[in-house]
Amino acid sequence: MFSWIVWRELILAWRRRADVLSTVFFFVIVVSLFPLGIGPEAQLLRSIAPGVVWVAALLASMLSLGRLFANDYQDGTLEQLLLTPQPLYLVVLAKTLAHWLIAEIPLVLIAPLLGIQFDLSQDTLRLLFVTLLLGTPVLSLIGSVGAALTVGLRNSGVLISILVLPLYIPVLIFGAGGVEASIMGTSPQSHIYLLAAITVLSLTFAPWAAAAALRISLE
Amino acid sequence: MDWSMGGYGFYVWGSYFFAALAIGLELFSLSRRKRSCAQNVNKDDRGKITEAKSSYVAQA
Amino acid sequence: MNLYKYASPVNFYPLAGKMIPWFAIPAALLFVIGLYVGFFVAPTDAQQGDAYRIMFIHVPAAWMGMLLYVLMAIYAGVGWAFNARLSSMMASSIATTGAMFTFISLVTGSFWGKPTWGTWWVWDARMTSTLILLFLYIGFLSLQASIDDPRRADRAGAVLALVGVINVPIIYFSVQWWNTLHQGATIRILNKPTIAPKMLAAMLIMLAACWLYSVAVVLVRLRCTIVEREQNAARFAEAGT
Repeated sequence: MFSWIVWRELILAWRRRADVLSTVFFFVIVVSLFPLGIGPEAQLLRSIAPGVVWVAALLASMLSLGRLFANDYQDGTLEQLLLTPQPLYLVVLAKTLAHWLIAEIPLVLIAPLLGIQFDLSQDTLRLLFVTLLLGTPVLSLIGSVGAALTVGLRNSGVLISILVLPLYIPVLIFGAGGVEASIMGTSPQSHIYLLAAITVLSLTFAPWAAAAALRISLE
Repeated sequence: MDWSMGGYGFYVWGSYFFAALAIGLELFSLSRRKRSCAQNVNKDDRGKITEAKSSYVAQA
Repeated sequence: MNLYKYASPVNFYPLAGKMIPWFAIPAALLFVIGLYVGFFVAPTDAQQGDAYRIMFIHVPAAWMGMLLYVLMAIYAGVGWAFNARLSSMMASSIATTGAMFTFISLVTGSFWGKPTWGTWWVWDARMTSTLILLFLYIGFLSLQASIDDPRRADRAGAVLALVGVINVPIIYFSVQWWNTLHQGATIRILNKPTIAPKMLAAMLIMLAACWLYSVAVVLVRLRCTIVEREQNAARFAEAGT
């Protein structure tokens, strides 16, 4: 059941490639806007790069979260999923995993390329990749809670952002902070460990909260 | 008491002004809401199933 | 004595009405006493001069902001777990007051920061965490405002408030971490343990005043919420207003 849901999500996303790709393009454009707004001085760009890439990743994730439950809600599939004998926790976890594969992994893969725009070193680019890889699951997991709470509401897009962005702040701090630490020469290890801890914590609790929120939203 | 707060008067009185303003706004909006609710309670047709006069959503 | 009857919103309504003056009047008195002690009795600080007197509104407001968030989460959680409408209504009533106190603490904090630290805004752990707390309140209020069905709004708010309350220590810790790594050399925070007794007295009186004020205001808002949501209750006529 779990793998079936993941596979189904992947197929559906493949059929609507444009949605997925547009989020990626948004990410690329936003990251590219910052040097244009701030100026081409390499030293300055290098110092803002981790923050910019991470914030852009957060914003791009926000855009894709609306799709997590909305399409299934509209055609009634979501109600059917709630009625299955399988635990809702696993259903939500499966959808979140699929969301991570579809919406976040492309960002993680492209981020090092964008890092080149900011004149980052090889090591920094590698670290950027690793922190994003570790941190993006949290974006999907906590995002799923926000998406579940706002299923079927009028202005759910903006509302998800308001609800979830404050909760993303620890991830942002440790993710971007880790990359900055390595740029400044200190060890990013503690940041990475804490990021991993947050990931594990959200992996355990977020699907449960999202499942509860789905039941509330669908009554 | 030194009314000019040793030169920091603007900051001290300014902060108390904004605090009082916020509290005043809250009390004011609450009194307006209370007035409209009191009208609802005193309606003669309370006890009948009617459309709510004010919305159900949380208000200030 | 059967206390459980007060779990019904309609029955609690008159009780709340009787309670309000018992909190509102002492609150007003304590505000006056607290401000008097703070401005006329407490001495001038050796380091900060008279600017420190902002503390008498800033610190109680900050504490109330945080305390009310936790209370809100507890009431919302209880309302969700036990399907208790009144508890959820209480949570919704607390939210606005909590947000207001958090806002006051941010503004007064800025006003305090300018003469003591030199800038209107500084990204220290406490200011930043308070700002994020304000965002959490706004999220809760926005969510409840966007959902038309009151019971769904109550339960969704409960999930959000509980997720938020778990996050608050995580956020505070991470912001403190972030701040100590990026610490500028010029930031010094007032040393609490060496506070003079008269200053402490004024601050505690103001804290009590804010607390009593919160209870009174929340009860008024709760009564309005009860009326708005329980209009169909025929028993309203019997319970009295």
